[in-house]
Amino acid sequence: MEFEEMKSLWGELSDKLEQQKKITDSLIAKMTKSDYKNKIKKIFISELIGALICFAAALYILFSFQTLDRWYLIVCGIISVSILCLLPILSFHAIYKIRSINILNNNYKQSLLEYSKGKQQFIFVQKLSFYLGAALLLTILPVMGQLIAGKDLFIESRLWLWYAIGYPFFYGLSKWVFRKYAKATEEAEDILKELENG
Amino acid sequence: MQDKKEFVRVIQENETLIYKVSKVYTNTREDEQDLYQEIVYQLWKSFGSFRNESKLSTWMYRIALNTAISNLNKEKKKGRFLPINEWVLNRTDPDDLLREERFELLYAHIRELSTVEKAIILLYLEGKSYEEMAVITGFTTTNIGTRLGRIKQKLITQVKK
Repeated sequence: MEFEEMKSLWGELSDKLEQQKKITDSLIAKMTKSDYKNKIKKIFISELIGALICFAAALYILFSFQTLDRWYLIVCGIISVSILCLLPILSFHAIYKIRSINILNNNYKQSLLEYSKGKQQFIFVQKLSFYLGAALLLTILPVMGQLIAGKDLFIESRLWLWYAIGYPFFYGLSKWVFRKYAKATEEAEDILKELENG
Repeated sequence: MQDKKEFVRVIQENETLIYKVSKVYTNTREDEQDLYQEIVYQLWKSFGSFRNESKLSTWMYRIALNTAISNLNKEKKKGRFLPINEWVLNRTDPDDLLREERFELLYAHIRELSTVEKAIILLYLEGKSYEEMAVITGFTTTNIGTRLGRIKQKLITQVKK
């Protein structure tokens, strides 16, 4: 298909579509109503639930902090609370950035720039959250062991051994998880390069 | 109320524009419908602030293309959209399958282009002037000319494959 042929075919297509116009008033009216808002709510609901769980766990640790009576449990407690507060903030910020394209005022180039940069930031945050999540798993176990069961897992179980076994598993998992982000990162970089090269 | 009537008229007059953008930026019927609906919603949201400073079609292309970008990343979920039997985009004419196939081939070639190139070729095929394309895309007219040259080469290579 040559370029000119493409143009004439496009013209044909446009004529055909013009003849077939059939969108109804009621359908347009429906499209302007609540569906989109509901969709936004659905996107945020999982993030919101995650954030509530994180903050509830952080509050639980903070209110029972005096129960953590050994230095390493206190360190684990501080790290856990910090991560539990940081995770939702990071997640909401990244989502906000990627969705904050100014559809009304931007031109196409500006929107693509915002989208690609937001995407890069989003992927960075996803990776960071993955590591923070893994660190949280390490620190929250002994803290909850102490707070819920009153047991110092470092003494009463072979926690270090589990950590040693878990590390290679986590390493493999991270490789697998990050592979899916590689393509998305590459796409965002390609768009930016294409915009810069003019 | 008057606004809504006027909006419905604008959408009905330009529905093919929205359809084409939705078609070029998506790969499945479901995503196409999703994007179509979202473009209409975004147009409605900004309809009040459209002050005839630019041409109506320029404004519509801007919103439609920006919405297509913001939609690139969205997770697809089923069941949020208008029922399929009510949908506007079911346009296949059984008597004209060959022509339909050629149209689909045309869309397929355009879809293979990069996100930047898709908008430029779409506007070019729609018969927009370089100046108008520059307003919509934010690229200079010279840059658009250069990019179109590259797109042409790319399409020729694609077709030869």
